[in-house]
Amino acid sequence: MSKILIEDLMVNFRIYHDRSPSLKDYFSNLFKSKNGSAYSDFAALKHVSLEISPGQRVGIIGHNGAGKSTLLKALCGIYPPTMGRIQLEGRVAPLLEIGAGFHPEYTGRENIYLNGSILGLKKKQIQAIEEQVIEFAEVEAFIDTPVKYYSTGMYMRLAFSLATATEPDILILDEVFAGGDASFVEKAKNRMLNMIDKAEIMIMVSHDHNLIRTLCNRFVWVDHGRIVADGDSEEIIDRYLSGSVPPLEGN
Amino acid sequence: MTMALDAKKSCRETILYRDVLWQLVRQQLVLRYRRTIFGYLWTLMNPIFMMSVTAIVFANLFKQDLKTFSIFLFSGMIPWNCYSAIVTQSGTSFIYNEGLIKKIYLPKIIFPLSTSIGILIDSLLSFVALFFIMLALGSQLSWTLIFIPVAFALLFLFSLGIAFILSVSTVFFRDLQHVIGIVMQAWFFLTPVFYKNNAIAGKVAWLIKLNPLTYYVELFRCPLYLAKFPGIDVIIYTSAMSMLSIAIGWAFFLYHEKKIVFRL
Repeated sequence: MSKILIEDLMVNFRIYHDRSPSLKDYFSNLFKSKNGSAYSDFAALKHVSLEISPGQRVGIIGHNGAGKSTLLKALCGIYPPTMGRIQLEGRVAPLLEIGAGFHPEYTGRENIYLNGSILGLKKKQIQAIEEQVIEFAEVEAFIDTPVKYYSTGMYMRLAFSLATATEPDILILDEVFAGGDASFVEKAKNRMLNMIDKAEIMIMVSHDHNLIRTLCNRFVWVDHGRIVADGDSEEIIDRYLSGSVPPLEGN
Repeated sequence: MTMALDAKKSCRETILYRDVLWQLVRQQLVLRYRRTIFGYLWTLMNPIFMMSVTAIVFANLFKQDLKTFSIFLFSGMIPWNCYSAIVTQSGTSFIYNEGLIKKIYLPKIIFPLSTSIGILIDSLLSFVALFFIMLALGSQLSWTLIFIPVAFALLFLFSLGIAFILSVSTVFFRDLQHVIGIVMQAWFFLTPVFYKNNAIAGKVAWLIKLNPLTYYVELFRCPLYLAKFPGIDVIIYTSAMSMLSIAIGWAFFLYHEKKIVFRL
């Protein structure tokens, strides 16, 4: 059984006011008082607690910069918690930025192996899905060409086909329904829905609220790094859209 | 205590992500020579030609016998180039992989580690090239050559420890990538690559004696050039330095690795 448990999660970023500190700044600052220092800490997530159990399809909503993507990235382990704890059970497929690990000089096939291993697949698993991925992406003729010669659409199709070729327990999505021509979008959407169906837990961030209404059965509203509303009622989305002031310390 | 746990976790993760590690090593080795006529052969040809040019120039300059001087020189250049490349290139390994690190979780250690392993493989191939040069020059191949793998292992551990420290530090202080280049240039002249260990007297002699690389070069030069094993004192000293370097470097890395993603 898969499970996600987030307890009192804090993620702080250090914001530099003008530029990153040079060695010289570091040494000169050693002898100065700390007042008026060149950076300040910014809390992207403040005391976030969340428990997600199998069967839940969680849609995260909130304004730009509210901390939605940071929350997903923290879940994937990209940002280690400044404080608090994250516990994940089950095989995770992070679909944050598909094609992130593609190397432009590598051929399509080499990138399947490179990116597959980055996504946590073993060589045998990649071999098993290789043909199917190429076929779905419709790039058979160019699979042994470096991807830097691909069109944007081909590149995107290959990345998408690979990222969606596995059946994870926990699926983490950040705005991945996009791109390609009409026929591919349709095909891609079906593949994605199928993947979501098979996952025990799905957690997604999207600004397409209708998509969230259709796919999710739990809604989490994040504002200024805090969870301000959490529940299974679509009323949360309505309240968010109507621009109502988030209730203080929801839950 | 937490450090020991971190170390254990880091090992387990590295093993779990070994496929990515090899992919990154492969990327480093294969892409360089792609679309060239000789392809991967360049990995062998490059060191042969580079070393030959250097040997011919300096044998003439120093009025040395080409055959003995080239083996003398190469046996110093291989360890120095390996060390210098690992230290310089690992320094920027996080900066070059920023895109990947910010988009997907990978154990941080695989970046400097893959860079260093790639360079080690290159150095081993340079050694193979040197081996052919020695055969071509008709020099005596001594059975003491069996010590070379040990020499590589000790050199690699020493370099890797420093690479760990510099890879993290460069993320925090970008100036370091330029500082490293300058320091390595100075360090090169303080290392007996072009000259013999005892050839230099005077004000900097103590610096050369203090320089750990002097002894790592000896690990290679003894079997290759002098056809004898390095002295036991040199082996003990370099082993201790390698252990020290890898222990401090790894601990430093584990202590700071969680901050890397926030500073890229």
